[in-house]
Amino acid sequence: MLILHGIETYHWAVAGLALGAITLLLLWVTNQRLGISTGFENLCALVVKAPYFRRAEVTGSTHWRLPFLGGLVLGGVLSAVTSGGWAPFWDLGLFDEAIGWGPAGKLAWMFAGGLLIGFGTRMAGGCTSGHGIFGISNLERASLESTLAFMAAGIVTSNLVYRLGAS
Amino acid sequence: MNALVYAIFGTLFGWTLSRSGAADYNYIQGMFLFTSFQLYGIIGVAVIVTAPGLWWLKRRGTTAFGAALALKPKPRHPGNVAGGVLFGVGWSITGMCPGPILVNIGEGKLYALGALAGALVGAALFGALYERLPKALRLPALRIGTGDG
Repeated sequence: MLILHGIETYHWAVAGLALGAITLLLLWVTNQRLGISTGFENLCALVVKAPYFRRAEVTGSTHWRLPFLGGLVLGGVLSAVTSGGWAPFWDLGLFDEAIGWGPAGKLAWMFAGGLLIGFGTRMAGGCTSGHGIFGISNLERASLESTLAFMAAGIVTSNLVYRLGAS
Repeated sequence: MNALVYAIFGTLFGWTLSRSGAADYNYIQGMFLFTSFQLYGIIGVAVIVTAPGLWWLKRRGTTAFGAALALKPKPRHPGNVAGGVLFGVGWSITGMCPGPILVNIGEGKLYALGALAGALVGAALFGALYERLPKALRLPALRIGTGDG
């Protein structure tokens, strides 16, 4: 059951099939390799003028990554609208039960985690989509190593927070 | 290719992330705490579907419109693992990887705005510091970057 309106999830096999099909269609139709975290660089490039953000890969992919990122937001909006209506909310499930911080605390916690996501995915050269789904499917060793690293780090961190910290 | 086409692909991907649990804090913790199989099933099936599809597309060598398939592997360097560790900690803290940050904002989860702000500052810092990061990471030359995805 999702935090969003308490609705039931798709079966994992259906969701995995859909994500795989979209990944393949994106390549077959548009000739683009699925990857989301580079989109952070496209967004940064709008305001930060460091040489890193003027690389060809960044300037040359803005035309497709930004509409794709916009679509991700729209997909979330439509999912909320069609499952009980769109309204802003702060519910955070397990975090509310075990840690229980208010909005300011949640924003600070999320900002700290976000820093690690932005810095880490760009150092790693990809995230769950580009390394975890696409890279592993393409039998790339860098992607396999990176995926094992972020899964292991996530497992350790969640266990520290919920099995040691909050108990 | 038209921006609208990419927006549609993004919408389909975002919808699926939203309805599958991949953009839900509880399901992400359930994955890392081994109390839910959902996310392992999703990622596993996505790879099982994508791998043979990629093999076939590469063998075919062209897109739907006959263009040569543009597909280069990501560079391998110690940053794959070091950055992966940082990202994994962030994924656990927020319950979101990059795509779901945007999906959660769309759903109306206000705390996700904090995660997006952090991710953009983190990426900006990484880019600004690129040539001053430890040599031990052996990151590729700036014009190549760490890998795009």
